[in-house]
Amino acid sequence: MIRTVLAGMLGVVTCVLLSPPPALRAETVASVSERFAAAETDETPDFQQHVVPLLGRLGCNGRSCHGSFQGRGGLQLSLFGYDFLMDHRSLTAQASTGGERQSDRRVDPQRPDESLVLQKPLLQVDHEGGDRFAEGSWEHHLIRRWIEDGAQPITQPRVLSHLEVEPAEVVFDSDAASSPSRPVPLRVVAVWEQGLREDVTPLCRFRTNDDSVVTVDHDGRLTSTGPGDTHVVVFYDNGVAAVPVLRPLNDAPNRARNVNDAQTQSPSVDRFVLAKLDKLGIQPSDVCTDAEFLRRVSIDVCGTLPTPQEVESFLADRSADKRTRKLDELLERPSYAAWWANKLCDFTGCNPNQQAELGQETSVQWYMWVYQRLRENVPYDELVRRIVLAKGRESGQSYQEYARQVSAYFRDDSPADFAERETMPHYWTRRSMEKPEDAAQAFAQNFLGLRLQCAQCHKHPFAPWTQGDFNEFSRFFENVEFGVEPTSLPQYRELAEQAGLTVRGDDGTAIRSDILRQAQQGRIVPWRELYIDARPQPESLSLLRSGSVTLQGNDDPREPIMSWMTDPANPWFAQAIVNRVWASYFHVGIIDPPDDLNPANPPSHPELLNWLTRQFAGQNYDLKWLHRQIATSDTYQRSWKPNATNRDDRRNFSRAIPRRLPAEVVYDSIKQSLVASDKLTDVRTDLTRRAIGHLSMRLAGTHAMQVFGKPDRAVNCDCERVNEPTLLQAVYLQNDPLVDQQLESSGWLQEIQAREDAGVALDPTRLIETAWLRTVSRPPTEKEIARAERHLAASDSTTKAMRDLLWSLINTKEFILTK
Amino acid sequence: MTLNRRQLLQVGALGGSLSLSQFLRSSAAAGHADSGRSAILVFLGGGPSHQDTFDMKPDAPVEYRGQFKPISTRVPGIQICEHLPRLAQRTDKLAIIRGITHSLADHGLGTRYLMTGNLPTPVVSYPMYGSVVSREFPAAADLPSFVSIDRPVEGPGYLGTQYGPMSTGEKPRYGQPFRVRGITLDGSLTVDDFRSRHQLRADIDTAFDGFENLDDAVRGLDRFAQQAYRIISSPRSRDAFDLTREPEQQIDRFGRHEYGQSTMLAARLIEAGVRFVTVLLEGWDTHMDNFNTLGRELLPQLDQSLSAMLDRLESRGLLESTSILVTGEFGRTPKVNSNAGRDHWSRAMCALMAGASVSAGQVVGATDDKAAGPAGEGFTPDDLAATFFQNIGIDPKTEYQASVGRPITLVRDGSPIPGVLS
Repeated sequence: MIRTVLAGMLGVVTCVLLSPPPALRAETVASVSERFAAAETDETPDFQQHVVPLLGRLGCNGRSCHGSFQGRGGLQLSLFGYDFLMDHRSLTAQASTGGERQSDRRVDPQRPDESLVLQKPLLQVDHEGGDRFAEGSWEHHLIRRWIEDGAQPITQPRVLSHLEVEPAEVVFDSDAASSPSRPVPLRVVAVWEQGLREDVTPLCRFRTNDDSVVTVDHDGRLTSTGPGDTHVVVFYDNGVAAVPVLRPLNDAPNRARNVNDAQTQSPSVDRFVLAKLDKLGIQPSDVCTDAEFLRRVSIDVCGTLPTPQEVESFLADRSADKRTRKLDELLERPSYAAWWANKLCDFTGCNPNQQAELGQETSVQWYMWVYQRLRENVPYDELVRRIVLAKGRESGQSYQEYARQVSAYFRDDSPADFAERETMPHYWTRRSMEKPEDAAQAFAQNFLGLRLQCAQCHKHPFAPWTQGDFNEFSRFFENVEFGVEPTSLPQYRELAEQAGLTVRGDDGTAIRSDILRQAQQGRIVPWRELYIDARPQPESLSLLRSGSVTLQGNDDPREPIMSWMTDPANPWFAQAIVNRVWASYFHVGIIDPPDDLNPANPPSHPELLNWLTRQFAGQNYDLKWLHRQIATSDTYQRSWKPNATNRDDRRNFSRAIPRRLPAEVVYDSIKQSLVASDKLTDVRTDLTRRAIGHLSMRLAGTHAMQVFGKPDRAVNCDCERVNEPTLLQAVYLQNDPLVDQQLESSGWLQEIQAREDAGVALDPTRLIETAWLRTVSRPPTEKEIARAERHLAASDSTTKAMRDLLWSLINTKEFILTK
Repeated sequence: MTLNRRQLLQVGALGGSLSLSQFLRSSAAAGHADSGRSAILVFLGGGPSHQDTFDMKPDAPVEYRGQFKPISTRVPGIQICEHLPRLAQRTDKLAIIRGITHSLADHGLGTRYLMTGNLPTPVVSYPMYGSVVSREFPAAADLPSFVSIDRPVEGPGYLGTQYGPMSTGEKPRYGQPFRVRGITLDGSLTVDDFRSRHQLRADIDTAFDGFENLDDAVRGLDRFAQQAYRIISSPRSRDAFDLTREPEQQIDRFGRHEYGQSTMLAARLIEAGVRFVTVLLEGWDTHMDNFNTLGRELLPQLDQSLSAMLDRLESRGLLESTSILVTGEFGRTPKVNSNAGRDHWSRAMCALMAGASVSAGQVVGATDDKAAGPAGEGFTPDDLAATFFQNIGIDPKTEYQASVGRPITLVRDGSPIPGVLS
């Protein structure tokens, strides 16, 4: 039996933000499949509402057909539709082979049946795409009527308000597989801004996000294929709606439901996660062991392994709140700021190779600036504001003062501290931000988790963005300039001359190493600066369709963007960071990929994400609050070991999924595992020598970092950081000269060697225990001790045997994974 | 298969806008059928002078044509530089492609362009040829499929790190022990020691026992650890990298210089079953003293080593299955500068192709009378890449679901240069 859940009468799934359902519901027009069932009708189909969506649904404007940028068979349509002008022009033009013969016309209002757009899909003439509809079908009638009535274009695109999908959610009973289930039909109503309502079900495209849970056919009928949950996504015009579909576990029917009794608790991470598990009939795994928790949380919060002493005292601690206290302690460590500065540099694209000049220096400044803000726990919105609104000059500075200030950062003799700057301009001074289109893509991905790149060239296939939306958004960034501000050109030239810098044109010149040397010696050299150029004429631009902004003169276009982002109504800004932080603690985001916020890629736990996002904003964007909410939850502290109900669950956080250590953490952890006993603290706290710390930028691009997937931050995608295992990583850990050399020069092994040489008796069991604590952060089992003791006993050198043991431990899965 | 795996695979097939680990992506997408071909890329780093090698202009004024004279070759009508006599005797094995042109006269950008066949952009990082080959063709269990002699020349880009090259970390030098990064065991460690360590590891790596197939990370680690172990400990890969096994006569044939040793290693690796080898022959950035550098060192060495590599592959019957491309990142200025050098010049360059389906014994394309630009439209690095891929048996129009969220065509703007392949 199938239950459909109706939220009110109709589920409302909004396609763009802030589109409330109309208060007064107009009559809904029946669908085109009914209205055009008969050939004889007076109705003229509309090009935007009917003809283009029908072509989309028939697949005509797909990438491998006429939507290809080269077109197909001479006909080119806009990819995924929405360029109505071009599509109309293409359809009404003569076919390219076009002689004067009437039958060469794509549309021929005089003789509609001779039109190629009918003859081709009816396969009356050769069509590589095959037959697309049958003679006498409503599709045939619809296109024929459009042609007959003059094949009219549209004058002004109609604005779609939203799509209403009924039912709003589909829950298949757990016995759906055992009895042949009836397909569940979806009904989609398009609501236009002018108040028109039309059943557009036969004009939609449908997609399932997981066809092992549900499949959807051409007409929007859902068939359950297995337990689990996912979404079916509906596309029409530029609207996108996602319908949640869920089927509880087959073998854990009603018995498991509501055992978690989540609804009665106050909102928390666990409550939302358990509520969903209840619905699915999944029992979460137990909470992980103390040792597992300590290693996991140390790595996730500080990018650092715990020390043997830390492990032992944590395990010995009997107090109930020790996990929470540990988390509080970790959040106060400098390594927390270091590791998360690294992550924020990932998200924002801090890349030495993209800087217009002095890439290494500027990217280190960038990193240190973010590090300092995280040390101060500056609210996230404030931190972003100080990046987004940065200019070269801080308020009121003259060019001279600016040049003096920047030169001072590079001075050898008591340099000024860049991290003390109020704002951080390097985000904008990269060459990759020069073109407004590139800046728009980067900005949307960095701060809003939106991927606009598709819309640069065509209607986004899965998101509501059109090329027009993209173009307007990118125009905001047109007057953010890096160069010489025109009124400062004389001073710039003067300084340039003194420094021996040849200035080409008026845009200034990159600082070369010989000029840097002058700055290092304490001289003032001329720097290009980040400034806002004048906009030639005032214009009104739309901010991704949520309000328009008029910009003129030297208005800083970033200001309205910043206010818009931090407006409580903005659906992306806070959500993007909340979801990214979540994704750092788990193997996936609540929305995944975490930087693809898009109605066709809905969250697995919408209530949880909304609650966390709202609260985070309400807590003044306090990142540490967010870390606490996540890391103190049972959900984060689950064991990786599955139970009978959750083996197959990877999207509902019912257990921990083992994750490979990030590149920087691998590097630091190997070092820490091998260091001399009296260096165990230093090696962790001296951030200047850590891959997660100040070395982060310098190590970028080195062999070890490349092998373990540290991102170059060269493209706008969180996916650039790769945490998958590869062959080269295994080769690295087993036999790379670097690891080999680290094992050879291990301070701890040298200690052992010294004692061995001096004939001091060594306690093999204690050595073995320490090796385990150093690497996998837990004491060994008796069986493990016995095996290691056997290895030590068989060797004529304890040092050599311990080297083998450390090598082996570093090569276990347990070392390279958090579990 | 677990639910999530199915789920991910299916999502991947739907356009890649949703989560899909690169590891799974690799096994998900329909790869090419294995063409059985291998490839060698000889990269002449620095940008070799085209007009002093394979595209000479004896009739140009002396300040353009330089000091070298052309010589006739085995193929009537084809002339190349007098310092390449052995290659001249083997032009019947080569297709010389002239009139390749682009606009990136910078080492970094030019290299990226020539090594990927796509104009570099800040938005997408394109994969190097070898990464595509290792993505498309299966590797032997105990051999890496893509080896870069010395350091990698460009990386796997959007295909993901698992398709990066195994780089040796140094160039082989005659008479000195050759250490292959990650493969050669350190002097004090024997294969037996290594095996014993492995046994110890296997015995203590038990945390996930009983759940080996539950999670991809665990499964992947097991698989790759095994493969790495085989590569490091197997005689096959150790032999392949062991140049001391070459007879003196072969060493003399290739030359004891770096070029000779690197090309000899490339041939050995292909013979062993490696699918793609990058050979990096450097020193071509001749801003000064171009003619002495080329005439006395680089050209004789190139002549000796490249001709030896062709002979060797042919004698082992491997030339017909090995696609060879020899190229730099650009050509050099038509006019000799005041330091008897030539500077960067990307409007004209040349390349060589050999092996597999190359229709050898011909010159394709041409430059103008001063070798300053192509005569006619010329060819782009994209075209060259498309030709090379085609010759390896990989369709240059293959599409990948790149992790940046849209499908990317392998070589978007190029097509195989007409006439080069038969």
